[in-house]
Amino acid sequence: MTADSFLFWLLAAVTLVSGLSVVLVSNPIYSALCLAMSMVGISALFATLGAYFIAGVQMIVYAGAVLVLFVMVLMLFDLKTELATFSRGKISGLIKIATVGTLAGFLAGAFSMSIEFMEKPATKTVVAEAGVDMSRNLGTLLFTKYILGFEALGILLLVIAIGVVGLARSKGGTHAKH
Amino acid sequence: MGSDAFEITVNCIKLVLVFLLMVQAVPILVWLERRGSGFIQNRFGPNRVGPLGLMQLLADAVKFLTKEEFSPKAATKLLFYAAPVFALIPGTLGFAAIPLGSPLKWGDYTFAIQGYDIGVGIVFILGVSSLAAYTILMAGWGSGNKYALMGALRASAQTISYELALGLSIVGIIMMYGTFNLSEMIAAQQGTMHFQAFGNTIATSWLPNWGIFYQPLAAVLFFAATFAESNRLPFDLAEGEAELVAGFHTEYGGFKMLLFFIGEYGHMMVASGLMATFFLGGYNIPYTTTEQVYQFFLGFVESANAASALTSLAHFIMFTVKLGIFLWIFIWVRWTLPRFRYDQLMDLGWKTMLPWALANTILSALVIFAVSHSW
Amino acid sequence: MRAVKVEHMLSTDIITHVGLNHYLVLSALLFVTGMAGVLIRRNVIVLMMSIELMLNAVNISFVAFSKYLDKLDGQVLVFFVMTIAAAEAAVGLAIAVSIFKRYKEVNIRFFEHLKG
Repeated sequence: MTADSFLFWLLAAVTLVSGLSVVLVSNPIYSALCLAMSMVGISALFATLGAYFIAGVQMIVYAGAVLVLFVMVLMLFDLKTELATFSRGKISGLIKIATVGTLAGFLAGAFSMSIEFMEKPATKTVVAEAGVDMSRNLGTLLFTKYILGFEALGILLLVIAIGVVGLARSKGGTHAKH
Repeated sequence: MGSDAFEITVNCIKLVLVFLLMVQAVPILVWLERRGSGFIQNRFGPNRVGPLGLMQLLADAVKFLTKEEFSPKAATKLLFYAAPVFALIPGTLGFAAIPLGSPLKWGDYTFAIQGYDIGVGIVFILGVSSLAAYTILMAGWGSGNKYALMGALRASAQTISYELALGLSIVGIIMMYGTFNLSEMIAAQQGTMHFQAFGNTIATSWLPNWGIFYQPLAAVLFFAATFAESNRLPFDLAEGEAELVAGFHTEYGGFKMLLFFIGEYGHMMVASGLMATFFLGGYNIPYTTTEQVYQFFLGFVESANAASALTSLAHFIMFTVKLGIFLWIFIWVRWTLPRFRYDQLMDLGWKTMLPWALANTILSALVIFAVSHSW
Repeated sequence: MRAVKVEHMLSTDIITHVGLNHYLVLSALLFVTGMAGVLIRRNVIVLMMSIELMLNAVNISFVAFSKYLDKLDGQVLVFFVMTIAAAEAAVGLAIAVSIFKRYKEVNIRFFEHLKG
């Protein structure tokens, strides 16, 4: 087994086990910390796929900011008892799990059977080399071909920021005007 | 890691040495802090144990190691014990990515004098240093103490707020040097100041080619943001003694407390290393390029290997001096400025530093665009 | 063709040669884990965390395709997905805090009926 494949299997195992723990562990704070571990695993998987810049951004954005917000909110709630961790009813729960498992099987089967029909495109748009070259190409692509999406994203973020401040200052919010 | 066994072993030993370097610098820093703060406050620091009080830290370490190991009754054991161990991770990973000296050419091999050379250097370092918030949160929650939790929430909110100003103030430098890689940034700061503007090369010989002369505002913002990131005064309300006992590490004693301090000093070292790399030319000796230093040493010794080794050593010593300057400034500021109140702190981060960092980014982009065309 | 397929599936190449297939199956497993979380957990915050897990699984498949087809468009889409997911998490948390402030409860079985 080469180092690359060993690394993949190790990271895949860590990510999957952490992902399962997010769903199965009853204490929500442990759940959030397991999700953080999963994010770090996913970031490492991005690095094995050669997307170093995206791996770094994943660490900064997800593992460093979004999940810290989740953990902070959970600690503020300070829930002493969890009334019902999982949904009531064993039969409905089993049906849900069975549906999800079937979907997983469909997806995995579909991928395995259709991979050989996929062709690589004739033109290559990326030189998968050192991180800096790829970052430069990524930036160029973002600002030329996807400029509309980029600007729309900027406007979306502005709207979201204003919306969250408005939510906090509304009648039931944390910073409501009395 | 390397192509053959020799290179792999040397790289592994290098990783261990860089880790040990960071950990062993902590006692020296603590001594510096206690003596230095003593002199600033017009008193002697510890000066009984050993010459100049240097053995005080050894005595302290023995004291910490022999203390009773306890945990509070209301504590969540797993998080309580995991948090101090986690404190070491961001500082160690970040410090290993900073170049400490010029690359050493030994025969056919080239060894970079750093833990690992990463193409997207600064993005990686920002990513791992943002993991520091988890240490604080785990320690605060795991203590089972209301006041520790409050301190932890405040400290982590402060951390994620100042990460923004930290990242944005660096964007100007990244645009100017056109790379994320720290070694390339240092290589671009060699020699005396020269740059291209409007098609001509402007060069002066009385200034080194450091980043601080190109981006002074970014230097000030970055330095202030790193104070907030490592929870040092004047931004350490979360662990301020008068307000919250000791904040998120109230319930920790003994060796676990030492680990928190190693983590905090590790953070300081990464911050000082980054300041030296971006703004003070990294390991470069001022006014010289790496090639000039190499030729200088080649005049003394015969073999190219030994000259390269001496060059790396000289650069490493220079980097240590610059690191020491910034670490001393960290300690100096701690005993000079009063502490910020929490709302003043958050206002400063969001309403002052973030807009200034954005303005710096926009201005840098405009200037770089304007001077790159010969009008 | 069927015999060749079965042979291919039984060889140990699957373990030693990691290809696009492996990443896609991992992405699918993470996605359905997140989906199971959304369906069976009752805490609103854990629900939102499961949604984040689903979005990250999709990110993995985007980056895997980007590498194996040698196009960078996948990574640009990952950018977009990441930004939107982070913003959505922020808004979701703001709403959750408002709910907790009003009802002192974050178990969704109290909010199943669109009333009040």
